[in-house]
This record gives sequence, structure tokens and C-alpha cells, in this order.
Amino acid sequence: MNVITQTTVASFVVMVLLCAAGYFLGRNLKKRPGRMQVITEKGVSMLYNLVEETMGKHNAYWTPYIGALFLSSIGGSLIGMTGILRSATSDVSTTLTWALMTSFLVWGCTIKNSGFKNFLKGYINPLNIVSDIAQPVSMAFRHFGNIMGGGVLMSILYTGLAGLSSLVVGAVRSNGWAVTGVTAAVGAVLLLTGFKKGKLALKIFGAVFAGIAVAAALELSGVFGEVPILEVGIPAVLSLYFDIFSGGIQALVFSLLTMVYVGMACPPRR
Amino acid sequence: MLILTEVTQFESLVGVNPWTALFTFCNMIITFLLLKKFLFKPVKKMIDERQKEIDDMYREAQASKDEAARLQADYEEHLSSARAERDEILRDAVSRARKRETEILTEAKSDAAALLAKAESDIAQEKKKALNEVKNEISSISISIAAQVVGREISEADHARLVSDFIGKLGEGDD
Repeated sequence: MNVITQTTVASFVVMVLLCAAGYFLGRNLKKRPGRMQVITEKGVSMLYNLVEETMGKHNAYWTPYIGALFLSSIGGSLIGMTGILRSATSDVSTTLTWALMTSFLVWGCTIKNSGFKNFLKGYINPLNIVSDIAQPVSMAFRHFGNIMGGGVLMSILYTGLAGLSSLVVGAVRSNGWAVTGVTAAVGAVLLLTGFKKGKLALKIFGAVFAGIAVAAALELSGVFGEVPILEVGIPAVLSLYFDIFSGGIQALVFSLLTMVYVGMACPPRR
Repeated sequence: MLILTEVTQFESLVGVNPWTALFTFCNMIITFLLLKKFLFKPVKKMIDERQKEIDDMYREAQASKDEAARLQADYEEHLSSARAERDEILRDAVSRARKRETEILTEAKSDAAALLAKAESDIAQEKKKALNEVKNEISSISISIAAQVVGREISEADHARLVSDFIGKLGEGDD
């Protein structure tokens, strides 16, 4: 079992980045804020508002933890977009640790607010034990599964596109410079018409043809072995959903669930 | 390539690596503490301070506005009361002057009437006195004339009666 895994490195990088960003955003605060400070304050007060709305005003002091959790989750998901590191959140070790931290916070708050006896009394119904186990597991696997699934889908897409690319470019290349030139000409014509008439579809097809021709030319002249040219474009669009949207949603869901569970364990004092 | 490695690592992906979990836990705590110290606390403090300052400024502005309104109301009240006082004084003065005027007039009228009455009574008295004097004069003259004419004394009573008859006729003729 490795001591240092990719996830460890990724979460360490996320931690360093977040702390550095926090340090630089949080220093030199002025009464008359600059542009960055306005954005920072907006973000911080949005987090405070979210926590106050979900957990109640008396629980506003939980915001730093929720914020750290939320930012770590988003950062852990987005770090996968670098292509160097895998998303920290697509490792169940990460999400399970966070979910267990939430559970321990809930138990701690319950004991603190209603006493150890009442905490134990809650388990007279043994189903509560099941739910207390199911809660962190479901949280962990929901987050992990979404990010991991997105990553796997993106990998499959990249592999598939690489295969398609080598197939198409190979077909053009094997027919020599003439077909390459024709493809390039078709691409250029399509691109030009597309720009003249302002049609997006023509532009895209033109770019595809031109790209294939360029890739084939590069391979023919022996500059590169294989150019997976079709990997350009489509993954960018899907990445918007699988990496950014999904990462944001899962971070929000995870921190919202944490807020709800901890908030229920910390009712307002009478 | 990537997909293959991921598939071969799938077993280890779903499993939990306790070292990773430990490091994640530590990283989370460190992130939490550092963000709290460097980002959340100072930013929240700054927001609250600014909010407080703005609230104070608004409160002060409201207070001075209230004060100004109070002062203005004060002044207006003073002004209107001064106006009312002035009107009061004027009205008082006018009415006093009217009263005095009528007083003076009535006084003058009564004075004039008194003077007139006195003058009339004086005149009447003077007239009576003059008449009496004339009467006496005439009677004495007539007595002396009569004495001389008649040469004898007539009784005093006859004499007086004669004279008064004469005077009466005289007065009638005079008026």
C-alpha cells in the first residue's frame, strides 16, 4: 500500500493553493475595498449567508469549516482538469474522510448539546445505528462516484477520440499528399464560406477537415508519429459539465449535507 | 492509455487507503485553520466593522437631522409666538387708544355741556340781576318822577305794584 498516492499529492497541492489564495486575498484589507477585495468579501459573505440560512444565525461560526470543506471539494475536483494530477475527490479515501469528519462533528455536537446519556438513548432504536453508518457512506460515495464517473467518462472519450483520430488521419495519410491536399482544400473552402456566411456548422466542419489535413501532413512529413487531432474540441465542451458543473454541484451538495446534519445537532439555545 | 491504468487501478480506487485518509484529514484541518485565520476572520471582521461604521454614520446623520428638525420647529414656534405677541400688543394698544379716544371725546362733550350750562345759567343770572337792577332803577326813577309830578307820596305798596306792572309790560315789549 503506497504511503504517498496521487490523491495525497493532489490534496496537498489543493491545500497549498487554497491557503496561498486565502492568505493573499485576506491581507491588506481596507475600509474602501479594491476590486479583489470586493469579490473576496462577496464570496465570504455569500458563504456566511448560506450557512446562516441553512444552520441558523447561532451557527454562523461554522462558516470557516464549511467554507474550507466547500473550497477543498471544488479544488479537489478541479485539480483533475490539469491533466497531471487525478482529482482528489475521485478517491473514496478523500470523500470518506470528509464524510466521517462530518459524522464525528455531528456526534460531538449531539453529545455537547444534549448530553452523553441522550446521545446513547438515540440508539435504543437500532435502525439509528444503520442510518449513522449509511449517512457518511452515502455522502462519500455520492461525491466520489460523481467525480470518478466524470473522470472515467472523460478518459473513455479521450481514448475513443484518439482511436477515431488515428483511423481518419491514417486513412488520409495512407493515400499520400494528394488526398491530404484535397482535404485541406475542402477544409479551407468550408472555413471561408463559413466565415463569409457566418454559419457555425460550416466553420466547425471546415476546422475539422483542415485539422485532419494538417495532422496528416505533419505525419507524412515525419514531424510527429501520431497526432490525435480529434481530441481537440469535443472534450472541452463535455469537460464543462463533467469537471466544472459536476464538481461544483457535488461540492455544494456535500457541504449542504454537512450543514444540515451539523445544524440539526446544534439547535438554537433556549 | 489512461483508461487502461484507471481500470487496472480500479480495485485500489474504490478501496480506502488509510494513509491517504490520514493525509486528507490533516490537510483538511490545516486548510480549515489557515483559511479561518487568514481569510474568513479578517474578511468577516472587516465587513462587520464597515457595517458598523455605516450604521453609526446613518444613526448620526439621523440624529443631526432630527436635531435640525427640532430646532426648526423650535424657531418656528418662537417666531409664531412672537408674532402672536406682537399682534396682541398692537390690538391692545389700538383698543386702549380707541377707549381713550372715546373717553376724551365724552369728557370733552361733558365739559362743553357743563360749560354751556354754566354759561347759560350765568347769563340767566346776569339777566335776572340786570333786570332787577333795571327794575330798581326804573322804580326809583319813576318814584322820583311821580313824586315830582304828583307832588305827594303814594303808598309804597301801590308804588311797587305800579312799577312791576310797568316792568312786565316792558319785559313783554323787550322779548
